[in-house]
Amino acid sequence: MKILVADDSRVMRQIVIRTLRQAGYDDHDIVEAEDGRDAYEKVRTEAPDLVLSDWNMPNMTGLECLQALRSSGSAVPFGFVTSEGSADMRETAADAGALFLIAKPFTEETFRENLDGVLA
Amino acid sequence: MRALVIDDSRAMRRIVTGILGGLGYETRQAGHGQEALDVLHEGWVPDLCTIDWNMPVMDGLQFVNAVRANPAWRPVTLVMVTSESEQSQIVRALAAGAHEYVIKPFTADALRDKLALLGLLPQEAVL
Amino acid sequence: MTLAPDATARAARPLITSLIDEATVGAIAGEAWVALVGEEELLVPVPGALPEDALSTWVDVVGPWTGSVVLTAGHGTAVELTRALLAEATPAVLEPEDVTDAFGEIANVVGGNVKAALPGPSTLSLPQVGDAPAVRNPDDVCRVEVLWRGQPLVITVQGALPSTSPQHENPHHENPQHENPHHENPHPNGVSL
Repeated sequence: MKILVADDSRVMRQIVIRTLRQAGYDDHDIVEAEDGRDAYEKVRTEAPDLVLSDWNMPNMTGLECLQALRSSGSAVPFGFVTSEGSADMRETAADAGALFLIAKPFTEETFRENLDGVLA
Repeated sequence: MRALVIDDSRAMRRIVTGILGGLGYETRQAGHGQEALDVLHEGWVPDLCTIDWNMPVMDGLQFVNAVRANPAWRPVTLVMVTSESEQSQIVRALAAGAHEYVIKPFTADALRDKLALLGLLPQEAVL
Repeated sequence: MTLAPDATARAARPLITSLIDEATVGAIAGEAWVALVGEEELLVPVPGALPEDALSTWVDVVGPWTGSVVLTAGHGTAVELTRALLAEATPAVLEPEDVTDAFGEIANVVGGNVKAALPGPSTLSLPQVGDAPAVRNPDDVCRVEVLWRGQPLVITVQGALPSTSPQHENPHHENPQHENPHHENPHPNGVSL
């Protein structure tokens, strides 16, 4: 499977990729995006099976990216990995079509809990 | 009390001037930071400035910096008026010396409440 | 100017000390370290003197409470933190932007969790790295000092609004900073002499 990791922080993208591996998802292709606009474009060019996206990014936020994807007819599975895990945020994320919201800081267990139904 | 309404949008200036006038302020307007500075340099020093963020010639942040650089204008209270998308700039404006902020769209009551917090309601304000 | 701040006014603009305490901020930071830096990584609640070359990173929170969540450490500590975060992906030569990225991300995570503990709705800014933003109102600060691997780290949650009390003077800007308003305080926040 192919996973798109979107975060404006290169460090955080590394951490997400590392945690995916530690959680046992180590035979997937990873594509990286550095903001919402980049992520939106890469969903179209790379056709990932899952998007893991930060919320707060320059140029286009993760939420705006998800909304743009859904409006354009894309049903790509999408989950947030973000530093804010409030009930309001989760509700906003779910309303926009996100499958889950993983709050930072996260552990491998959190990844497994949220991704087990989504990734093989 | 005097208020200087600074915004490049004539419509916004009209709205804010209307609210402040209703609260008992004597008001003047400026279309950008440099025009506003010209008013201050004339000697018409307001008690309050409402300042739009994004303006041509001299923007809100530059105006705040200019006012705070002049000790003679220290008593002037600076209130930023920003849009939802400009919220990330608010702390920057406050750090430069602005005193408060309101986010558009705001009601007359919301602005009135902010001014009450600052102790800046003219005595003759109509409730 | 008529000044008559009253209890209602203060309640409408709460001070951070009525919204969050040092223990909560410390716990948030501790959890961030354990998850991002390593399970064995402890933040020991012991103050230490920050070195001259202190570096700060912060995110701004705008809402019922408006201010910044600031982390300050020595430059060397920020570099060590970057290496720890990147782990095996650490390049041989660290670029300044790697440090800005990693340090900023720590502010993002700690700040995001602090924001979630404060009344909403509020927005969180993207992180910045540089000289610490000046303290606007000394009564509107929650400060936590810890040691990480023996090195000092200061976390402050500080309000951006001036005090509404007439005794507090507004900061007098003798050197207006057009590019970097955060440079106004000659003593970076947290430096103990």
